[in-house]
Amino acid sequence: MAKLNDEGQWIIMMGFIVSIAIFIMALIVAESALVGKTTSESVLEFPKNDIQDLRSELFDRRWSDFQDPAAYGNLQNDIINLSLNRKGAVISFSYYQPGDDSVLLIHYNNGLTEYNDMYTERPSELSRGVF
Amino acid sequence: MVDDTAQLYTIEGVAAGFLMILTAYFIISSSTVITPQETHIADLQLEQLGSDALRVMDTPTENGTPGYLALCLSNYDPISFSDNITRLINTKTDSGTDRLHYNTTIFYRDGAAIGNATFGGDIYYRENAVKVSRLVTVDHFPPGAGIPNRKQVVLVEVLVWRS
Repeated sequence: MAKLNDEGQWIIMMGFIVSIAIFIMALIVAESALVGKTTSESVLEFPKNDIQDLRSELFDRRWSDFQDPAAYGNLQNDIINLSLNRKGAVISFSYYQPGDDSVLLIHYNNGLTEYNDMYTERPSELSRGVF
Repeated sequence: MVDDTAQLYTIEGVAAGFLMILTAYFIISSSTVITPQETHIADLQLEQLGSDALRVMDTPTENGTPGYLALCLSNYDPISFSDNITRLINTKTDSGTDRLHYNTTIFYRDGAAIGNATFGGDIYYRENAVKVSRLVTVDHFPPGAGIPNRKQVVLVEVLVWRS
């Protein structure tokens, strides 16, 4: 009966280690492509620019055009209809002045992301220096 | 005479060194692997660039005055708009310019309907483009523009692509 050749065990073991290392590296590379895809997709999906645009437009208008009820209604119609038709986003906002305060309520929903905002300005407290 | 024993160990040492360098290379480069089918990262950068360009143009230089974008619209001046946005999106930190193109459409509300008007730009041949938009309040439009002449909010949509 032939004797089992037990030489070269060290080399065989190194062969195993090397092949396992290559396999693990392949896994890491495969993962990285997926990570880039999912992160950029989720960033693209989030309507960051739409919300910032809406907010900046409303904050720009609140002291000038929103003071006039007719202009306010017109501009409100414009923004709501354009957003619904071109971006598929449901927007509602209202600007009202209880007492001395000014309140701006913003609601945004495009089916994936919902955003609500309430902004209050109190001139009385601002003039007293209370924040 | 040169000692020629332990050649296998020498080969193994070289292989192990090579393997370590390769591992370090893969780990460093793994965070920026872009497969050919994967263009979302480029889209993301284009979208940010386009939005920033529109934001810069919509920001007034002084309090109480309209921004440059609103001025271009109320004069219905696609040429000034083109000069500015082309420069904004094509400027690079080093010398030379980028190869970005754009195409602009204005959307406005006319009663219950949404109308659109083209506002200059390059001809779009279905390249891989992203769309950026900006709400702009315009005081009035000149009669030739074909847009209802009243104070209104219009949506400026810009397609941006790289050729």
